[in-house]
Amino acid sequence: MPDTGSYMVAAYIVTAVIVVGYAVNLWRRGR
Amino acid sequence: MTLDLAQADGHIRRGRVVTLLGLAALAALYVMALQFTPPERFQGLAQKIFYIHPPAAYAMQLAFVMTGIASLIYLLLKDARFDRFAEASAEVGMVLAVIVVITGPIWGKPVWGAWWTWEPRLTFTVIEMLVFGGYFALRGAVRDPAERAKFAAVVGIMALVLVPFNHMTVYLFASQHPEPVVVQTGKPELPWVMLRSFITGFVVFTVLYMGMVMQRYGIGAKRDIREALDA
Repeated sequence: MPDTGSYMVAAYIVTAVIVVGYAVNLWRRGR
Repeated sequence: MTLDLAQADGHIRRGRVVTLLGLAALAALYVMALQFTPPERFQGLAQKIFYIHPPAAYAMQLAFVMTGIASLIYLLLKDARFDRFAEASAEVGMVLAVIVVITGPIWGKPVWGAWWTWEPRLTFTVIEMLVFGGYFALRGAVRDPAERAKFAAVVGIMALVLVPFNHMTVYLFASQHPEPVVVQTGKPELPWVMLRSFITGFVVFTVLYMGMVMQRYGIGAKRDIREALDA
């Protein structure tokens, strides 16, 4: 099995950062 | 007007609750996909990107379809609520599109051997993003709210055509992008232990889409009320 774990980690981190970042952005704009 | 502001705040509050639920569900999906779903034999752990990339792509397309439908209804009814919804859905769609075009290449590099290739599915996704970039540029350029809504609705409807075409690219062209492995005429080609994480991903991104659009709709409503008061 190829060692591709770092790509998986990168994709999961990027997704979490974008989703949480936008959620925080919406929270601030809604105040 | 006070009632309208209260309504807008209500949308924002409800949207926050749904978004928080979506974020909790996203965390649960991460645990499920990373800890309780086995890796695929040939792609290794990179295959687990599959539990976030297609669900994000589906939610992106859902967002753009909803923008197109709301735009169409706006042109028919001239009700500002549909323009506001179209704008909210388009913004959330753009955020999801960013996730799609970043996670796609991260999967492509180890599996295809290249970060990017100008094959039909990828190219059409970029075109969709550019069209919605234009949608927001147009909204920013027109000051009159009614004119802005009308012009934006036309772009929203035009962009709607791209969505099914983008979906069909893997069948219409010699595309490098994988064809659907779950939504097809035969049985899904996935064992249940993988399928459950995949389905959960779709639910998670649907909930996030709903919560974020509700909040963004409320924010748009508050902005419109303030603009009307300033005018």
